[in-house]
Amino acid sequence: MINIQDIRDTARDMLAKGEVRAVIGYRRGSRGMLAEPAFITDPAQADDLVWDPTCFHNLSLYLVEDRKFLTHVRKTANAPIAIVTKGCDARSIVVLLQEHYFKREDVYIIGVSCEGTGVVDERKLAPHLNGFQASNAAFDGDDFVFITAEGEKRLPAREVMADRCLECRIPFPKEHNAVFGEDKTGRQLAEPFAALTRFETQGTAERWDFWSHHFDRCIRCFACRSVCPMCYCEECVVDSITFPVTTETTAEDKANRIRWIERSAVRSENITYLMTRAMHLAGRCTDCGECERACPVNVPIRLLNNKMEREAREQFGFEPGASIGGPSLVASFLDNDPGDFIR
Amino acid sequence: MEKILDKKQIDDWIAALTDWDVHTPVLEDGIWTYQPVNSAVRGAVRLDHPNTNQSPKGFAFPQREIFFSFEQIKGEPPRLTQILPKEQRHAVFGVRPCDGRGVPRMDKVFTDHVEDPYYNARRKNVAYVGLACNKPPSPNCFCLSVGGSPVSTDGLDVQMTDMGDRYFVKAITETGKALMSVAGSFFAEPAAADQKQVKQVHAEAVAYPQRKINDPDGAPAKLKASFNSPLWEEMARACIGCGICTFLCPTCHCFDINDEVQSKAPLKGQRVRTWDNCQFPDFTMHSSGHNPRENTGARLRQRVNHKFQYFHENFGMHQCTGCGRCISGCPVGIDIVTVVNKVTEHAG
Repeated sequence: MINIQDIRDTARDMLAKGEVRAVIGYRRGSRGMLAEPAFITDPAQADDLVWDPTCFHNLSLYLVEDRKFLTHVRKTANAPIAIVTKGCDARSIVVLLQEHYFKREDVYIIGVSCEGTGVVDERKLAPHLNGFQASNAAFDGDDFVFITAEGEKRLPAREVMADRCLECRIPFPKEHNAVFGEDKTGRQLAEPFAALTRFETQGTAERWDFWSHHFDRCIRCFACRSVCPMCYCEECVVDSITFPVTTETTAEDKANRIRWIERSAVRSENITYLMTRAMHLAGRCTDCGECERACPVNVPIRLLNNKMEREAREQFGFEPGASIGGPSLVASFLDNDPGDFIR
Repeated sequence: MEKILDKKQIDDWIAALTDWDVHTPVLEDGIWTYQPVNSAVRGAVRLDHPNTNQSPKGFAFPQREIFFSFEQIKGEPPRLTQILPKEQRHAVFGVRPCDGRGVPRMDKVFTDHVEDPYYNARRKNVAYVGLACNKPPSPNCFCLSVGGSPVSTDGLDVQMTDMGDRYFVKAITETGKALMSVAGSFFAEPAAADQKQVKQVHAEAVAYPQRKINDPDGAPAKLKASFNSPLWEEMARACIGCGICTFLCPTCHCFDINDEVQSKAPLKGQRVRTWDNCQFPDFTMHSSGHNPRENTGARLRQRVNHKFQYFHENFGMHQCTGCGRCISGCPVGIDIVTVVNKVTEHAG
């Protein structure tokens, strides 16, 4: 059982001693029960931190933002940033470290174990609340407890947990500076890749129909890309400006920029966008599931990323974000590569 | 024109609208979207939705609008062919009052100073059949704070009110009267008790607690005075720069225009308008590389000030209609009610 006060104390102490320049964690937002990202620099605000089943966000995204900002203003940090991470989020940080996006000493990882559960899926929860909105959510063993105008509502966590959490194999941040909660690695709530396996029992025609339907529904708000800590490219193929423009850039360069994807949200462009993103996440996605949660129109994006993850696992025994010194999927070579063509 | 419609007869009414393509909210893939009443939906229109995931603004202002096609054959002058939307009438059922109030706001932008032929061609063919909110469909509703109401008829052609086993149906415009007249036999005259009941339902709807913007009237001046407030950056700290808030909004109307080239030789393609989004990092990026709205704080300020200051200065009304979609949809908890309240409070 995690005592939030322990996390707050750690945050407060480190800020007070100047050991970290900020703590990125979760606090209660203004929308009912939902937590939101918190950026705390004042030790007095450490008590704002919360830890509950609505701490969905993969906050490592903000380490990337911070690095981009520092590069932009040409400054170096005087102290690391502390960050509250779940198992999946910590693995994202490991991938970023493997890719040398920042240095290990730039970040102080306050790991929090998901213990027996994970985060709630609001879409699964809604039917249980009789149209009421919860004002508070809490962990309690294998249950989640919600407070609504009707009173307390206790639900077995696995009934309303996000699929990504049900399928999670390692709900513990192995890479950490400090860690709270028990390591429950080895728990088995659902088969890994269960949703993908279910999906793949269908034939090619059904799968194509399924994806055509969903590719047509994408509104290209780019929330899946924007919420993803792995989507850190300065120049993204989907943007209208796909290269950095400086005073040296000629008008011709600008006029002749390559536009890989049109702005229209139509099937051909949406496929190019979503498939490009899936490919670029191969061996990097740690299944934090934020892309699918953020999607305003419920495109099942996780299935794409899971597919790549399972390929890497089955072909190469590759586990994204397993260890900082470990190889990255696309930048490493195996003497016993299963493919004849490459040996 | 005020009538009573038995709930069981809503399908009959819709079936009678043979000159119209009728659309109604349908729950699919876990979200409510407007879908044409076709064989799959026919006979099952229930209007029991909270609010739709996206607003109905796309009926007059679709996410993608083709302006014209172009073709350049060597040695010949370029050929441009304007492509106007098809002449087809659309009746949109189940429009919530906030979304109804979005319509005159979009009209201001696209018809007040400049007549946008594409918007107009669609707009004149769309009828909005509203459904009053007996209670707020979303915990983030705040229509009362922005001059609206759960029973507002602004922008609607017809207002329907749910009265248990029947609807109280009121024509607001001539188009609304026409929509009802086609199916006159399905409607009954309201009795005195019905009139009394609808008043009661509306009174209760307005009394239902909602989220609140504390000083909407003072907002334009206070926001103006707070342009350089450090609060913007602080409140936008978590913003990821996605397009959810504006793409779901019933009144966001910024667009981008691009040439979509289908072939280089001969040069052939289409000029296309698509929704743009002030939260995207490349929104208003200059070709010099300079970006006047360089960070998320400046972009959040743009979105909020456009709703509560600039639009008000231009048209004398808030652009926001209080539907709460941008709040519910934001993946990181940015909340326009909190933002406006915080900035206006600090402005003193």
